[in-house]
Amino acid sequence: MSDAAIVPVAPPTAVRRTGLKFALSLVLGSPGGLCGVIILSLFVIVAVLGPLLTFGDHMEIHYLADKSVARLLTPGQHAPLGTDYYGRDIYTQLILGTRTALIVSIISTAFMAIVGTNIGLFAAYYGGRIDTLLMRITDLAFAVPFLPFAVILVVLLKPSLWNIIITISCLMWRTTARVIRAQALSVKQRTYVRAARVAGASDLRIIFVHIFPNILPLSLLYVAFGISWAVLSEASLSFLGFGDPNTASWGQMLYNAYISGSIRSAWWWTVPPGLCLTLFVIAVFLVGRELETYINPRLR
Amino acid sequence: MTTRALIAGRLFHTIVTLFLVLSMMWALFRLVPGDPLVIFLGQGELAPEQLNQLRAAWGLDQPLWVQYIHYLRNFVTADLGTSFFFRRPVLEVLAEPLANTLILMLPAVLIAIGAGIAFGSRLGWKRGSKSEAVWNLVILVPRAIPVFWLAIILLVVFSYQLGWFPIGGMKTMAFIPHTWWEALPGYDLLRHLALPLLVAVLTFISDPLLIMRTSMIDVADEDFVTFARARGLPDKKVRRLAQRNALMPVITYSAIMVGFAFGGQLLLEVVFSWPGMGRLMVNAVYHRDYPVAQAAFFLMAAVVIVLNFLVDMLYLYLDPRVSYE
Repeated sequence: MSDAAIVPVAPPTAVRRTGLKFALSLVLGSPGGLCGVIILSLFVIVAVLGPLLTFGDHMEIHYLADKSVARLLTPGQHAPLGTDYYGRDIYTQLILGTRTALIVSIISTAFMAIVGTNIGLFAAYYGGRIDTLLMRITDLAFAVPFLPFAVILVVLLKPSLWNIIITISCLMWRTTARVIRAQALSVKQRTYVRAARVAGASDLRIIFVHIFPNILPLSLLYVAFGISWAVLSEASLSFLGFGDPNTASWGQMLYNAYISGSIRSAWWWTVPPGLCLTLFVIAVFLVGRELETYINPRLR
Repeated sequence: MTTRALIAGRLFHTIVTLFLVLSMMWALFRLVPGDPLVIFLGQGELAPEQLNQLRAAWGLDQPLWVQYIHYLRNFVTADLGTSFFFRRPVLEVLAEPLANTLILMLPAVLIAIGAGIAFGSRLGWKRGSKSEAVWNLVILVPRAIPVFWLAIILLVVFSYQLGWFPIGGMKTMAFIPHTWWEALPGYDLLRHLALPLLVAVLTFISDPLLIMRTSMIDVADEDFVTFARARGLPDKKVRRLAQRNALMPVITYSAIMVGFAFGGQLLLEVVFSWPGMGRLMVNAVYHRDYPVAQAAFFLMAAVVIVLNFLVDMLYLYLDPRVSYE
């Protein structure tokens, strides 16, 4: 048995437990994450193809043979998913609404990630007065009730897709800023950051080359949650009647169904947009949850 | 830093935040294009000379900074102005909707916190089991469903189809009880309350639930839990023990949730035609009733700010280890 002692020990196989590949394998390797990715991909494909999948414009009013408006037709009669009270095709609105949801969520989340991450990084890195100032601004943003603020701002700016995006972006960065700051504060203390400083790296270089890559996964996690938050916010604003009247959106569809008094009978009008919203947000949550286990291995 | 200095510091910070929210609101409403007088009176109601007279009487001809000072002074002295739409003092207009919102939201928040704690602590305790994975998926659903859609679906099913509940509002016009239980006080209100309350609880429950769950998972690793197990206490008792120690983060969050309750739920109140703060604010914005919208918005923000301050104080009292800065 003494032979066994001299058998050279194989070098430990380097298991890299970080990196984009590993994050991806975590997400795709779990049934929930995979489901989320598939559902999201479908939404993205539909949004990209958009008009190619529809039969005309979402505002187009359809008429019956006797020249009357094709109001509230059940699915399959004239249109695949029926028509709404104004004689418009529900399927077309649903497809084009996907695009709106994605545009709003991607742009406002990108804004949120950039502003929130930078505020958090700078506050943590410089500390002192800059930290106090930036965090007071963040506290102020936290004191503002989201939906009431959004309603007022959208009305003041006039309802349009861009103004909705601006409004949502205005407050969404607050959580990211706080979380990123907390994380950056601990990264800042690590040896390699100190080493970089001793080596004469500039402040900006330390922030973006040495600290930023280490908070990137966390930032991405907030991007994931931000997307679902933005989609729900846009839908809520549109449902309250402050949406862009010319854009097809899921919230707008529900608003129209509600104010025309059709929710009582026209299930084919109220169910699809709500289902799309729910499905989209669940898919984002599923992906986000797996990303979370990447950042916090204790959750695995 | 002494505790007194700490409290003074937080108080100062709270007041500054309130002041900043006020100023932000002023700036925001000053962005509105158009003459405030025309908005108030409607186009072409008065001759230009009369308009100028009114403008002078209301101080609208003063420089902006003077108007700003006036605005601050009025707010501090609780003179919130007159509603453009109702033509009544704003405070009067706000009183009833605020009460209505609290009737709906306070029970909702309390039930959500209670149920969230009970459920979250069990879920956190069951960490790693099969049923936990299933429940983790289930609790995603109320977070993902848009509130207003859930409200619409429940309204259609339980009010329109089954006829169990009224279709909205707070009371039935000229309500006549047919049976003895219908004659009980509060019966009609409870029937109106049921659906909005259910939806509100479902929307509020996920946050305390998830916070409690995480907190339980953290506490479960602590020595006193292991020790309690080693002493041979039954699992139920150990969980109770852990639960008490895991409550802190939920309590903090609860105060913030109560703050949200004052603002009401715009979406919920609109779907169920509940005459509360949220609906009042949305209608005020529709009708360009800026004094009401402003006051409602400020009230919602102020309650959150003040409660945050109280939570800090509570924390200081409950956990003396906490020190700020």
